[in-house]
Amino acid sequence: MFFTKKKKTPRDPTIEHLADIVGKKSILYKKEDLLSYDCDGFTIHKAIPKAVVFPKDTAEVAAVVKYCSAHKMPFLARGAGTGLSGGAIPLNGEVIISLVKMKNLLSVDFENRQAVVQPGFVNLKLTNSIADKGYYYAPDPSSQYVCTIGGNVAENAGGAHCLKYGVTTNHILGLEVVLPDGEIIEISENGLPDAPGYDLLGLLTGSEGTLGIVTKITVRILKNPEGKQTVLAYFDDVENGSQAVSDIISAGIVPAALEMMDKTAIEGVEAGTYPVGHPDDIEALLLIEVDGIITGIAEQIEEIMNVCRRWNVREVKVAESEEERGRWWANRKTGFGAMGAISPDYLVQDGVIPRSKLPEVLRNIRKISEESELRIANIFHAGDGNLHPLILFDSRKPGETEKALKAGSDCLKACADVGGSITGEHGVGIEKIEEMRFIFTEEELEAQTNVRDVFNPDGLLNSGKLFPTPSRCMDVKKVM
Amino acid sequence: MELKEVSGGQLVLSKKYGNTGLSVVTPKSEEEIQQILCTANEEGKKISVMGRGTKRGYGGVKEEYDLVLSLANYKGIVEHTVGDMTVTARPGTTIAELQGYLKKHDQMVSIDPSWPEEATIGGVIAANESGPKRLKYGAARDLVIGLRVVYADGSVIRTGGKVVKNVAGYDMNKLFIGSMGTLGVISEITMKLRPLPKFESLVLLSIDEDRLEELKAFTVKLQGSMIEPASLELVNPALSKKLLDREEYTLLIAFEDVERAVRYQEEWVAANKPDAAILSNLSSDESREFWKGFSVIQPNALKENEPADHVQATVKISSRNIQVFDILEEVRLLKQVNKAELDAHGGLGHGVSFVILKGPEEAVTSTIASLRDFVRTKQGFTTIKHLPFELRKKIDTWHDKPSYFFLFEGIKRKVDPKNTLNHKRFIGGI
Repeated sequence: MFFTKKKKTPRDPTIEHLADIVGKKSILYKKEDLLSYDCDGFTIHKAIPKAVVFPKDTAEVAAVVKYCSAHKMPFLARGAGTGLSGGAIPLNGEVIISLVKMKNLLSVDFENRQAVVQPGFVNLKLTNSIADKGYYYAPDPSSQYVCTIGGNVAENAGGAHCLKYGVTTNHILGLEVVLPDGEIIEISENGLPDAPGYDLLGLLTGSEGTLGIVTKITVRILKNPEGKQTVLAYFDDVENGSQAVSDIISAGIVPAALEMMDKTAIEGVEAGTYPVGHPDDIEALLLIEVDGIITGIAEQIEEIMNVCRRWNVREVKVAESEEERGRWWANRKTGFGAMGAISPDYLVQDGVIPRSKLPEVLRNIRKISEESELRIANIFHAGDGNLHPLILFDSRKPGETEKALKAGSDCLKACADVGGSITGEHGVGIEKIEEMRFIFTEEELEAQTNVRDVFNPDGLLNSGKLFPTPSRCMDVKKVM
Repeated sequence: MELKEVSGGQLVLSKKYGNTGLSVVTPKSEEEIQQILCTANEEGKKISVMGRGTKRGYGGVKEEYDLVLSLANYKGIVEHTVGDMTVTARPGTTIAELQGYLKKHDQMVSIDPSWPEEATIGGVIAANESGPKRLKYGAARDLVIGLRVVYADGSVIRTGGKVVKNVAGYDMNKLFIGSMGTLGVISEITMKLRPLPKFESLVLLSIDEDRLEELKAFTVKLQGSMIEPASLELVNPALSKKLLDREEYTLLIAFEDVERAVRYQEEWVAANKPDAAILSNLSSDESREFWKGFSVIQPNALKENEPADHVQATVKISSRNIQVFDILEEVRLLKQVNKAELDAHGGLGHGVSFVILKGPEEAVTSTIASLRDFVRTKQGFTTIKHLPFELRKKIDTWHDKPSYFFLFEGIKRKVDPKNTLNHKRFIGGI
């Protein structure tokens, strides 16, 4: 062997091998290229991956996984990177398997109401592709214009319209999965109900990319409702707004969506890209949508307006056009990002509470805000009790990031304390790992990691996510 | 073994369906369940878990276990938060008791399985039972939000929670739903509720059996329209004769909505139905009565009334939506060449069909085999959810094992390593 004088950087054999699988143009391995993959929508923790590969089909995914598995090299899957809990952050210098090139709509079967997509297919594109035939895909996370359905499956994503139609898991009919050893399996290949055996569809959906990599997804598509109407209600008092939410549900109405924003949130959305002209002195607003058979909607809307009036609404109105309805929703759906207009940084939280505890929990969140001296805006899916406290902070100020993280954790504690959950749709990722202890015992966590070990025995796939390591017990013991 | 009385003279374990035991215990608390399981597990004893026993004929190739654990007496509502629309119930609560309780608050659990007076919520969840209204409301997996489960070693694991939206950790609820009691004993179930429909009705469309294509075309049109039925169940002529005294294919189109919306949809059906179809509308009360009758058509291991030389079986078939027509048509063809009585119905829109067979053993088993072959050609799934024990020894009641069966085995091994619970009751002998 001779060395040339102008010695090139010795190529890493791993990179060489991965490039052989996916092609030289479908791999990133230079430091400067890897930087944009050091985090996802959760930007507080960062780590650099070993490489990023962009397979074009299931066989390539399986080949990459087999290689990683054989060489005991950690790896993880990534979609659009919009996850809010850090599920796609390469904590262990993983090889990132980006699924963005697998972005096709493979088939649509209107007669049987299902569509088959690749994991990198963007959520909203599905609805857009079938809208002309009068169909849509129900789960609608706020990031739906960019997030992928593969990522939605990993996170069991929700959205504003999940109150009536359910979250992602209620719409997944079949999955093709590459297991952590590279084996490809098909669960309910034809999207049929009740596949024999344990419900692996249900288990995999929401497993945050720790049990397998989804490479093909059969989803249910729904027929557009005949009509829909949207109501906007302004309240001078948060408690009145919360009571109205309860009464709407108690009246036996199942709205398609029932959203709430508080004063700080309204300030944010009005300063953002899609202001609606909400009054700046109201304490809360409700955005309520009813859909279904047109002749049945009017009386439900009337009942909703009456409930609002009973709870001293300042103003309540029905969207007069599709354009107006669209503006109200754009204002709501870009709510998180709009916080950027009133704060240099913000942290989104995702607690869930029993609906009836809404006033109590909102009071506690206000207390957390006062104690931390950080503003907290609240945007939430009030109908199903899913709160999104947005903690506003400035990372340039020393110590404020930590304060914001602490306030976020305290908000989740406040939810857990009333019998709620620490996440309704954003997932645990790395962000809420320690908070898992708010709601699960050590034994219950172990029951879950036992299941993980069946699929992912070497822990090479997306390790360090979702479950706290039992190390804290050791710390406790040391103290004792 | 002799027949054993379980509770109040109502529950009897007949040897006919297997899944019996040397003794029967009926715990009244979760602690008792824990103790029983813990002891049995340590001593290497095998336990068969049951509710009130309607599904004793569902799976299992063991005639006898060391112990039968009946949850029939572990019943009642633990918590009902009206405003949150959630309820927590103990497993032995029957569907009728649960619905009766919730009705006082204008709420319901949105599930309509067979035999509501006897089937327990624990059994319905463990066996993943569903009825025609699955079309609108989904199945057990769509309504269970939390469970308490006693593991074979006696530990109690909570899965999910008490809130309607929750993605913290794995969705462990799903593992236990439909697991046939092979992973743990469900000791508490939390479900999300629905408001009772403000108004309901049932439209029946019957058509001569040679004109099924017309009904199919109508169904495709309906599904492509804005109409939102709560059920769209196709009933074969034999079953239609029993239920409605009309020996024709009948489509059961249920509506649940505010009255105006229901009326509007009824009018749509009347305006768009095939000319040859006979239409009748059942009012709210009549439709509830009809569904009551419908809920008791499947065989039930607690009811034994067929002649000694006859056997009964129920086959559950999963197919695509519109394939339900093909399945019911195949049932008609099989009936022409077979001595077994064949009642069948299938859910358009959700794709779950049931075929109920009655007749001499040979006719029943050969029909099951033919049906199974047919469903395989359609890439569907078949499960024989009711069959006497002697026949279960000869016929595998579960669908073929999938390629990923090793994952099921892995899960079972982790959760119940000593095969203490419902050993060999489930697919592939799990």
